[in-house]
Amino acid sequence: MRKHTLSVIFALLAPALAWTAPNPKLAMPEFAGLAQKATESVTITLDPALLAMAGRFLDGNDPQDAATQEVLKGLRGIYVRSYTFDKDSAYQQADIDAVRAQLSAPGWNRLVETHSRKSRADVDIYIMIDNNQAIGLALIASEPRQFTIVNIIGAIDLDKLHKLEGQFGVPKLDMDLSKTPAPGPPKK
Amino acid sequence: MSQEIESRIRAALRPVAPSEDFSQKLLARVIADQPARPKPRRLPSANARPLVWWLTASLAACLILAVGVQQHLEQQRLQQSGLEARRQVVEALRMTSQKLNLAYEAVKNQSTSLSDEKSGV
Repeated sequence: MRKHTLSVIFALLAPALAWTAPNPKLAMPEFAGLAQKATESVTITLDPALLAMAGRFLDGNDPQDAATQEVLKGLRGIYVRSYTFDKDSAYQQADIDAVRAQLSAPGWNRLVETHSRKSRADVDIYIMIDNNQAIGLALIASEPRQFTIVNIIGAIDLDKLHKLEGQFGVPKLDMDLSKTPAPGPPKK
Repeated sequence: MSQEIESRIRAALRPVAPSEDFSQKLLARVIADQPARPKPRRLPSANARPLVWWLTASLAACLILAVGVQQHLEQQRLQQSGLEARRQVVEALRMTSQKLNLAYEAVKNQSTSLSDEKSGV
């Protein structure tokens, strides 16, 4: 009887506990208007099932696939929205404010905020940490003719992600990761 | 008189050994007297048996073929989905890596300019 009562209490509390647990998944807006204006748009939605399926189609003997497999370990979702335009300022910052607002929620920490005068690109990287482990990553990159939002859910190893540099045709930089700013307080 | 009759009867009814071909004759007679056995009639369904067999076999073959085709299509669909998921994963990680690169480059430039300023002072 007592066991039964405890089960009922736990069942009732479960949704509340789930609600209070940090959720690294961002609610991505539709961006329907921007998709029409964009010359190129990328929408990637990979849930755990699709990630597992993709993992089965990666060849462990191929260096690029092996590196991808390493990164995928522990990931539970990858969501990307990217829009490229044929002219500058085709989108408003307000378009991505809905996403940025979610990153002010407790749990999210701004890891890097960069502005490049050369490429006129702003890149903000946020990370969600739970029990000393990164459980979510959000990246917002705004360029004059492109903006990209990336949301990765799961145990992220930034070092492994960084090692992907050069694997996909991206030039490898001689970077010292220790120079990146330490995680700051949650953005207000 | 009566004794004479009796002895005649005894003589007439004495056991006599059968002739050598008696058993052969008897068997030949028995076979000859046996009525001709009617040929077993085929049931009408016996004519249809090959047809039924072929129908069943065709049905089974169709069923096996249908299941095989369905499994092949399902396999193909899964493979396409898997390859598409793989393509999306590679694309997503490529974009993420590219944007991380942008951030790292900006941080690097900032660090370089800061160290240049320090050395200039």
